[in-house]
Order: sequence, then structure tokens, then C-alpha cells
Amino acid sequence: MNYVEWLRVRNCLRILLIVLAIFVVIAIALRITVNRYMSSEAWIAHMAMRNGAKETQTVLPDGTKRMIVEDPADSTRIVVDDHGYAGRHVVITEPSNRAHDEHDNVAVGSVHVVESRNGSMKTTVIDTDGSVPMIYYMGLADFVALMVATFLAAPLAREIDGHLDVALTRPCSRVRYALGVMGADVAAILAASVLTIVALYCCQLLFESPRLDFSGINARAVAMGVAVPLAWYAMLCAATTWFARSFGAVLGLSWPIALVIGALTLIQPGNLVALVIHDVAWAISRLDPLTYVSTAMPTSDGTVSYAGADFALRISVEACMFVAYGALAVWRWQRVEA
Amino acid sequence: MKTITIDNVRKTYGPVAALDGFSLEIPSAGVFGLLGPNGAGKTTTFKCMLGLARPTSGRILYDGQPLTPAMLERIAYVAERSVLYDWMTVAEHMEMTRRAFANFDPRQALELLGAFNVDPRRRARALSKGMRTAVMIALAFARNAEVLILDEPTSGLDPVNQRTVLSLMINEAAKGNCVVFSSHQIGQVERAAEQIAVMDRGRVVLRGLVDDLKGDRKIVEGVFPDAHFILDGIAADARVARVDRTERIVRLLVTGGADDIASRLSAAGAMGVRVLDLNLEDIFLYAVSPTTATTDIVVKELSS
Repeated sequence: MNYVEWLRVRNCLRILLIVLAIFVVIAIALRITVNRYMSSEAWIAHMAMRNGAKETQTVLPDGTKRMIVEDPADSTRIVVDDHGYAGRHVVITEPSNRAHDEHDNVAVGSVHVVESRNGSMKTTVIDTDGSVPMIYYMGLADFVALMVATFLAAPLAREIDGHLDVALTRPCSRVRYALGVMGADVAAILAASVLTIVALYCCQLLFESPRLDFSGINARAVAMGVAVPLAWYAMLCAATTWFARSFGAVLGLSWPIALVIGALTLIQPGNLVALVIHDVAWAISRLDPLTYVSTAMPTSDGTVSYAGADFALRISVEACMFVAYGALAVWRWQRVEA
Repeated sequence: MKTITIDNVRKTYGPVAALDGFSLEIPSAGVFGLLGPNGAGKTTTFKCMLGLARPTSGRILYDGQPLTPAMLERIAYVAERSVLYDWMTVAEHMEMTRRAFANFDPRQALELLGAFNVDPRRRARALSKGMRTAVMIALAFARNAEVLILDEPTSGLDPVNQRTVLSLMINEAAKGNCVVFSSHQIGQVERAAEQIAVMDRGRVVLRGLVDDLKGDRKIVEGVFPDAHFILDGIAADARVARVDRTERIVRLLVTGGADDIASRLSAAGAMGVRVLDLNLEDIFLYAVSPTTATTDIVVKELSS
């Protein structure tokens, strides 16, 4: 019954695949370009260039290439264990007074840096095989899913715009038909997320073997990454079904309007006009699924800026919006006449 | 399906009544033609029959039952305008129809498309108006439906393909199926339809078997010496459906007993009396626009 919508989905995902393939090709080109900088030998050669440094290379029984650089003049010792695609484990021991003042534990992507001080010496441990927080992947996957959701979010309006004679003379109820086409779009949005994650993983795999971390905030990011595009899709689907004759304008203006409303909520209510604008924008923004996207990021000490209860509320609102906006679209569809 | 019953249907769009107490009984088999001027309500009738529009009041029954989604498996529809998806190929439209309707026969559809010279690989946007109509007709007839509702099915087709469509309709009727169609080309209706209904302003103004309508109805025309003639009760005769007087000439639309009425006109003083046969176009024009019909007949008489 929903063959037409599946064709639309196929065409949309085909375009997405082409775009993602271009990114992978760019990553391959980049990987080839930086290849000579990525070998252990090149890295070691670069580090051993310092005057007076002594370099030792060995191969451990498990195949790990170990390189030790010692600079007695600087009281510095660097041990690099190269595990190939499994990453590198680097331990730098140096005088505290030579180290920078900042004392951070940093995790960026798969690179984890842990610093510790022991008397006059400081030890920095760098692991490049750390797990990659899924939230990084979901950030881009969410953006792509939102784009796909915006593109597909007028399935019923497209039928109203000149194809009702076909859509409504099929032997199935209007509700079933509407749920079928919306289901096809939901599948496409989820597929877009998955494809983006796979493409990102492939890109990263060209440089290292990433381990994805789904724990803690990452699991929440995945849940939010699924819920937000679906709620956004349902909202636009309802809007386009109600304003079917101008569904293109609805889709085209959706992002600018969402951004403007979001910006207006940031106005400081210093006077009456600003207060009114702020309050009106705030009230309207409650209807926008993007409002409930948390900008919380993991911090270096592993905490997040919002509590679990807050997340549960946000994800519940997104789920309710998906259902409510979807029902609104179906309700309107049931009353459409050719 | 046996019969389609349209019972006192009224459909309004704001203050405008597209259908105004429209009632009709369409038999289960045969070709039924729906005629009417632009805006008479033909397309609205079809939309109400298919559930595309909801009647404001009244009801439409198939075998005594209201339309259900399952019944649409047995009802095929060709809309007045193209409803094809521009970005899809004809083959994809076939696949769409195959997935939606259990009785759709792709081979039959391909044969029909071949008859209309339509390449299934072409996208709908690349087709002419006539070709789009041909695609919709091929898809509808290949569904093997029991009821075919065709709104202006020959619109945009060349004469050869128009003839093909008429043949398809007659074949469907021969198989015991019901074909309901509208057309402005009365010659086609006359050729294909066994029964017709003429609509005007949302109502049925004339209905019946084509042969009966043509056989019964005649024009009796009388020319008097001056304009002050008296019809002597002829106008009150139940067989006289309409009286048009113009100066010394009177034209009577009669539904029977034309010779008797002609004799009475002569007895009333008419210098010359003639009995004229009506074709379906005349009947249609008399039903929806008597003035135009009268003028038309006069023109024909003068030219002959």
C-alpha cells in the first residue's frame, strides 16, 4: 500500500548514501596523504630528533613495538607501545617544572590523557585506543536524521497535492494508510542515523580501530538521537498535513523559524517589550521538539550537567510529541476530501 | 456487486450546492453514461461514490451497503485529470497498482499500454496529457474490477485511442461488469452507453435507456399564419414536455404520440407541420438548455 512512500524513502537514502560515500572517499584520501606520518617509525624519528636523546626499539613477545626515548639532559623519558590498529600507549615522564601548568584528564574521541604528579616528576599517560563516546557519533547522526526527517516530513501533504484520487481509492482504511507511510518514513530516519554512524565508523577505522562507548550519557545520547528526529518529523508531518497546499513553505521555513524562536528565548527581559517577546517565544518553543534536546556534554570528571530525572522528562516529552503530532496528522488525514 | 444506489445525496461546498438531492440507481452490468454541462456535479458525484468526498446528506450504497475500504478492491477509478506521480515511471505505477490490488494483471496492463503506444520505462512527467490518460485507463482496466468509474476517460486521447477506450468499456459490460462514465462527447456516450442520466445543477434532469429516450422524444413543429395563434389545449397534453413559441412558429417537445399532436396542430390552424427526430445531443441540450436546443434545431433545418 505504501509503495510510493518507499520509493521516496529509497530515493532519499540513495542521496544520503552518495553524500556519505563522498565523505568516506575524502577520508580515504586523507588517510593516504597522512600515511607517512602515521607509521611508528615516522613518529619515533620525529621524537628522537631532539639533541642528546637516546632511542631504543624493541619488539615485545606479544608483537607490540616498544620504543623508548630517553633524554638525560632533560630528565625526560618517553615509552611508546605501538599496538598497530589497536592504538598506542604512551607514557611520558618529565620534571614537573617543565610540564604545563594545566592539570587535566582529557578525553577527546579515542584519545585519553591522564596526568599525575609524583614529587618533582610528572607522568602523562596517553592512550589512543580509548573508547569513543557514542555521543560524538550521535551528534552528526542526529543532524543527518533531522535533515532526512525534514525532507520526508510531508508524506500525506504530497498525496493531498494532486494524488488523493490514487491514495484514497486503495482498499485500506485511511488510518492504516497514514500509519503505513509514516512508518516507512520513520524507518528511513532511523536508517539514516545508522548509515551515518556506519560511515563515521568506517572513516575512523581508516585511522584506528575505534571502540564505541555506549555507557552512561552515551546511552542517553542514543535514546535522544532516536527520539528527537522522530518528534521533529511528526511535528512537521502534522503541520504539512494541515497546511497541505503550502507544505514546501512549511518545510523550508521550519528550520529558520525554530532557530529564530530559539534565539528569541535567549533575550534578556530587560523591558516590557523584551519580556513579552521572550515569554511568547518561550511558550512557542515548548511545542518544538528541538527545545528539549539537552546540550549537556560529558565533562572530564565523568559527570553530566543534567540529572537522570531531567533526562527522563525530556525523553518522555519527545515521545509524547511524536505520538501527539502523529495523531494530529492522522486525524487531519481522515478528514481530507478530494 | 449488483447495483449502486445514490439516494438523495446533497453535497455543499460553502454556500454552493454541487449536488442537490441527487438520486440515481445504476445497474450492476452495462455501460452507464453520466452527462451534464460543466459544473453540473458529475465529478462530485464520482467523488462521493468513491468516498473521496463526504456527502453533506443522503447516502450511497453498493448492494445496499455503504462503501467500505475493502469494496475498493472491486472498484476502479480513472480521474478526470492526471493523478500520476511525475517522478515515477509507468512501470513503477504498475508495480504500485499491483501491490495495492489483488486482481491486478500486469500482463494485461502491458498489453493495454502497448495498444496505446506507451513505453513503461518512461517517467510520467515525460508523457503527454493523452498518454497519461492512457496509462490511467490501462491501470484501471487491468485491475479486473467489477465497477469502473471513469471521469472523462477519453479526454486528450486521439480518435483511434478514443475508439479503443470505448471498445474496452463495451467489453467490460459484456463481461457483466458495470462501467459508469462521464463525457462531454455525446457521440461517444451514444455509441457506448445503454443508459444515461443527464445532470444539471446537481440534480438528475433526465434518465433512461438511450434507445427509449431517442425513440419516444420528438419535436413537432408548426408554422402559423400569424403570431396570434391559439394552441387549443395542446400544450396541456401530458405528452407535451415543453412548448417553445417564437413569432409564428411553435415547437413542441413530445414524449409520445407525435403524429397525433401534429394532427391537432394542423387542426388548430398551422399552415405547415413537421415531425423531427431527436438524437442524443438534442435530448441532452433540451434537458439542460432548451433555448440552445431550439436554436440548434432551427439552424439544422435551415441548412438542410
